[in-house]
Amino acid sequence: RSPGAPPQPAEAGPGGSAAAPARPRSAATRPRSAPGSGRSSRGAPAGEMGLEPLFQAWSYFRRRKFRECADVCSQILERPPSEQAAWNLKTRALTEMVYVDEIDMDQEGIAEIILDENAIAQVARPGTSLKLPGTGQGGGPSPAVRPVTQSGRPITGFVRPSTQSGRPSTMEQAIRTPRTALTARPITSASGGYVRPGTASMITNPDGPFINLSRLNLPKYAQKPKLAKALFEYIFHHENDVKNALDLAALATEYAQFKDWWWKVQIGKCYYRLGLYREAEKQFQSALKQQDMVDTILYLAKVYLRLDQPVTALNLFKQGLERFPGEVTLICGIARIYEEMNNISSAAEYYKDVLKQDNTHVEAIACIGSNHFYSDQPEIALRFYRRLLQMGVYNCQLFNNLGLCCFYAQQYDMTLSSFERALFLAENEEETADVWYNLGHVAVGIGDLNLAYQCFKLTLVNNNDYAEAYNNLAVLEMRKGHTEQARALLQTASSLAPHMYEPHFNVAILSEKVGDLQRSYTAAQKSEEAFPGHVDTQQLMKQLKEHFAML
Amino acid sequence: MPEGTGALREVLPKQGTGGELRPALRARPGTRSRPFSPFAGQLSVEDMPALVLCKPKILPLKSVSLEKLEKLQKAALDAAQAAPPPSAGAAPPRQ
Repeated sequence: RSPGAPPQPAEAGPGGSAAAPARPRSAATRPRSAPGSGRSSRGAPAGEMGLEPLFQAWSYFRRRKFRECADVCSQILERPPSEQAAWNLKTRALTEMVYVDEIDMDQEGIAEIILDENAIAQVARPGTSLKLPGTGQGGGPSPAVRPVTQSGRPITGFVRPSTQSGRPSTMEQAIRTPRTALTARPITSASGGYVRPGTASMITNPDGPFINLSRLNLPKYAQKPKLAKALFEYIFHHENDVKNALDLAALATEYAQFKDWWWKVQIGKCYYRLGLYREAEKQFQSALKQQDMVDTILYLAKVYLRLDQPVTALNLFKQGLERFPGEVTLICGIARIYEEMNNISSAAEYYKDVLKQDNTHVEAIACIGSNHFYSDQPEIALRFYRRLLQMGVYNCQLFNNLGLCCFYAQQYDMTLSSFERALFLAENEEETADVWYNLGHVAVGIGDLNLAYQCFKLTLVNNNDYAEAYNNLAVLEMRKGHTEQARALLQTASSLAPHMYEPHFNVAILSEKVGDLQRSYTAAQKSEEAFPGHVDTQQLMKQLKEHFAML
Repeated sequence: MPEGTGALREVLPKQGTGGELRPALRARPGTRSRPFSPFAGQLSVEDMPALVLCKPKILPLKSVSLEKLEKLQKAALDAAQAAPPPSAGAAPPRQ
C-alpha cells in the first residue's frame, strides 16, 4: 500500500491547484456583477449565488423563468461590451413568454371566410368539404339529444383556437359568432386573433421594445444563422410582424443556398399567415422532400384544411403515419378532420387509436367522453372524465361534466358537490352561466321546478344571451300557464339562436294550440330546417298541411 | 335521457257507463289468473306533443394553447388599460 500513498498527494496537487484558480475567478466575478446587479425586484440578484451571470440567465431559461432570464440578460447587456450570447438568450426568453404553438394557431377572420378565393368547387360533393357538414353520415347522436353549434355541427368535447371559427355561411352569421374566448366581439381579420404588434412588448418589457425592427439591418443578421433563427422567431411570434419576418427568412434561405429545410418551413408559415396558401404549400412540400419532419406534415395539413380540402389532408396524414407509425399528433389530426366533417364514428375510432398510443391524451379522452354521454352511456363517460381528474386536470368544465355524468348515471351523492366545485372554479361569467344552466337541468330531473326556474334565471343573469335558458324558462312558464310570457321568451330564444330547433318547435306547438296556424307553420318550417329528422315536427307539419288543404 | 316524444293521454271509460261487463269478484283478492295490462279498458289515445327542453351541455375542455392565448389576450387588455390612467392621474397632483 505504501507505493499507493504517494499518488494521493500528487492527485491533491492538481486538484488543489485547480481549485485555487477557481476561487479567484469566482471572486473576480462577484465584484464585476455587484455594482450592476443591485437588488432586482424578482428573484435573487445575479452573482450572489456565485454563478456567472450568463450561466445564471441560461439556468433561468432552462427552468422556464423567462422574466428573470430577461432581467439578467438586460443587466449583462447594459455593461459594454454587450455579449451576443446575452442578446440571443434575451430574444429567446421574450419570445417564449408569448409563444403559442403555431400549429394550433388558426384564427380565421370574417374577411378570410367571406372573401375566400380558394374554393375549388362551387358546390362540393358531400363528404369532401369542411363547409358542408354532411348529412349525418357518421351516425352520431341526433340534435334531439346533443346540442349543436352555430355551424350545425354537434358540440365537441374539446376546443382549440381553431375550433372557435366554425365557418359560418352568411355574413350575418359570421358577425354573430363569438370569436374570442373572453368577449363576444367578432374579429374582423386574421391579425385580430393574434396579440397585436406592440402589445406583446407591453407584457414582456414594460420599459419599451427590446429590438427596434425599423433599425435592424436584416441582411447582416441573415448571414449569421444562429442569431437569425432566434431573431426570426422573435419577429414572428413576439412582434407579429410577418412582412419583416418574411424578409429575414428569404434572405437567410438564400444565404443557406436553399439547403436548410428549417428556413423553408418558416417561409411557409409566413405565407400561411399572409393568406398565400398555394405558395405556403410549395414551401412545405419542398421542406418535406429535404427533411421528413412531423411538424412540417402538420403545417402542410393545416394549409390543406384552410383550402377546404379535407380529403387531401387525410391522405397526407395517412401517408405520414406510414413513415412515422403510431405518431399521436398525426392520428389526432385525422380524428379532428373526421369530427369536423361530422363523421363521429370514424372520429371516435381514431381517438381510441390515440389513446392506445398515449393514454393521457386530454383531447381524445374528452371527446370520447362527450360522445359516450350523448350516446346515452353516462357511466362510461364518467369513467373517462374521472381519468382526466386523476391526471390532474382541474377546471370548471371538467367538474361540470363530472356533475352531469354523475347525475345521469344515478350517482347522486357526487352530483351537487361537483357542481359546487365547478362554480367555484369558474373564471368568468360565461362559465358560471353554463354551470347554472346544467344545474337547472338537474333540478328539472329531480322535479324541483322552482329550483329549476331560479337556476335558469341565474344563467341569464350571468349571460344575457343564453338562448337555451330562455327556451327552458319558456317551457317552465308554460307549465304554470303563463302563455304570453312563454311566447316572449321563445321569441328571444329563436332570434338569439336560429340554428336550434327547440325554440322554433315550441313556438309551433304554442301557436297551434292557440289556433294561430300560419305562425305555427312558419315556425315548424324553421324547426325542420334546423333538424330535418325530427319526427314530431314532421307530424305537426302533416297535420297543418291537412288543415290548410281542408280550407 | 328521454327523447322528445309526445306525452300520452289516455281516455278511460266513466264509472257505470260503457258496454263492458264488470269482472266477477274473486274469492281471494290476492290471486290473479289473467295477466294484468295497464291498457285494459282504454278507449282512445290522444297524442299531445309537449314542449321540448334544450339539452344539458357538456362543456368542452380547453387546450393548452387556447388557455395560453386567453391569458395573453387578458394580459394585453390589462396592460392597455393600465397604461393611460397613470398618465392622466399624474398631472393633477402636481398642481
